[in-house]
Amino acid sequence: MSSFSTGLSSKLAIISAIVILPLNSAMAEDPTVNRMIASQCAQCHGTNGYARGSFPDLGGDEAKDQADHLLDMKGEDRAEDMMDHQALGYTDDQIRRIAQYYSTLPESGDD
Amino acid sequence: MSLTRRNFIQMVPASAAALALTSGSTAKAAEPIHHVTVLGGGFAGCTIAKYIRMWSDGEIAVTLIEPRANHVSCVMSNLILNKRLKTADLTFEYNDLQLKYGVNVVRDKALKIRGPQKQIRLKNAGWISYDSLVVATGIQFDKIPGLNYKNAPHAWIAGGSTNKLRNLINKMPDTGTFVMTVPKTPYRCPPGPYERACVVADILGRRSGYLDGSGSTPPRVIVLDANPGIQAEKSTFTSAFNDLYGGIIEYIPDAQVESVESDDPNSLVVHTTQGSFGGDVINVIPTHGAQSILRRSGLTGESRWADVDPVTYATTNTLFQDVYVIGDAQGTSQPKSGHMANAQAKICADSIIRTVHGQSSYTEERLQNITTNSACFSPITYDKASWLTAVYSYNPDTGSMALVPGSLGEAHNWSTRNFNDMFDWSNNLFADTFK
Repeated sequence: MSSFSTGLSSKLAIISAIVILPLNSAMAEDPTVNRMIASQCAQCHGTNGYARGSFPDLGGDEAKDQADHLLDMKGEDRAEDMMDHQALGYTDDQIRRIAQYYSTLPESGDD
Repeated sequence: MSLTRRNFIQMVPASAAALALTSGSTAKAAEPIHHVTVLGGGFAGCTIAKYIRMWSDGEIAVTLIEPRANHVSCVMSNLILNKRLKTADLTFEYNDLQLKYGVNVVRDKALKIRGPQKQIRLKNAGWISYDSLVVATGIQFDKIPGLNYKNAPHAWIAGGSTNKLRNLINKMPDTGTFVMTVPKTPYRCPPGPYERACVVADILGRRSGYLDGSGSTPPRVIVLDANPGIQAEKSTFTSAFNDLYGGIIEYIPDAQVESVESDDPNSLVVHTTQGSFGGDVINVIPTHGAQSILRRSGLTGESRWADVDPVTYATTNTLFQDVYVIGDAQGTSQPKSGHMANAQAKICADSIIRTVHGQSSYTEERLQNITTNSACFSPITYDKASWLTAVYSYNPDTGSMALVPGSLGEAHNWSTRNFNDMFDWSNNLFADTFK
């Protein structure tokens, strides 16, 4: 019985490793999930990040620069601007995903 | 556009594909693999129609059914009252959805949904089958005894009613009395009624000279709130009501409308649980719920709104398969606004595309990343505005959307910069929705 339990635990551990490993790897990210999160920026920053008026375009920015910018807003001692509050609404991982998504889009569009 | 049942069914996929072909878009010309029918051409309906076409790369056909020829945005419509905007500035045609994205737009009115049969009944085309159905039909006002919209326009579904209210304000005495009501929550656009009170106080306060000191008699703006307190931007509106418009605005909480006298335009009275209030102009915004088609079809159950799963926006009524409700008609706790309707439409669009492709909407990765956000600006004066923002995230433990701590914020003051940003915000929102 003891042996059976140990064996089962080992098997479960191996199965868990197989299942969990891809989730921990950026390679396994579902790109449509990134697109879904990032699309929530479009209400203010335009479809695919091509903004009208004075609001910044998002398409084509370096992912690291954009993520750092959002993380800086999130880290403000006291949220002042609308974007400070918006940044507080997202996890660091979501911010990275948003930045990653927009970095893959062209700098400007016809919208 | 009038269609018989037979030619409606026959033309939809072909028409959508043909439009996509002629638009020069990236949409594929192949026969669609699925057909989504959308009821309602407002913020929720137009956004989901556009995004399903865009994200499915034209694989999924979309038909949008809307009884009106165009949509007049409620967003920014208080600026029609002070003539900063005209109705035409807020009117959006469906041409871009048709030509750029290949959405088939049909002018008709949906009357009934039969879930088990997956059919809808249209006023002109009769009974039509659907693969998936998105209901984005907005709100419907409760009936209030004695309320005659001809003399007491609501201006809460933008269009002719908004113009009528503007004209009445234009004609009323400079030091007259404007009486307005705030509906019981949940209602469309939480800051909107308080914003309207400020806009009207600004109009009358300038016109009477009371605000610049050239006139000594204040106009009166009486705000009758069915709720126990201000429901949004409390700090901003408390300050505006008490300080900026002190002497003009009188705010009365817990005032629920019982009846209205409005058949005679010279005798307009609102009767509430806090007393009766007569005015030169009265603006009663009735309490509202989802449109009656949802209630008639059994999508609202005991609730005034449609219960949905915010992972997909599918109705929780299991008699209805592949039926989704988004925008103001759905019953999650998220605020009802055009911005939020747009946000929900994208979550729903992603889920429908996944379902069509045989993929789950319930992967751990997706569940951890379902977010919506709200942002809006409120004009407080002729050229100054405030703002309000919040982010909502899916909570798997409760199965509901929850406000993310720290994300709720409002402007510290009203400013010209905010007023200018308001136009950038709305222009981007309009473009992301209709263009």
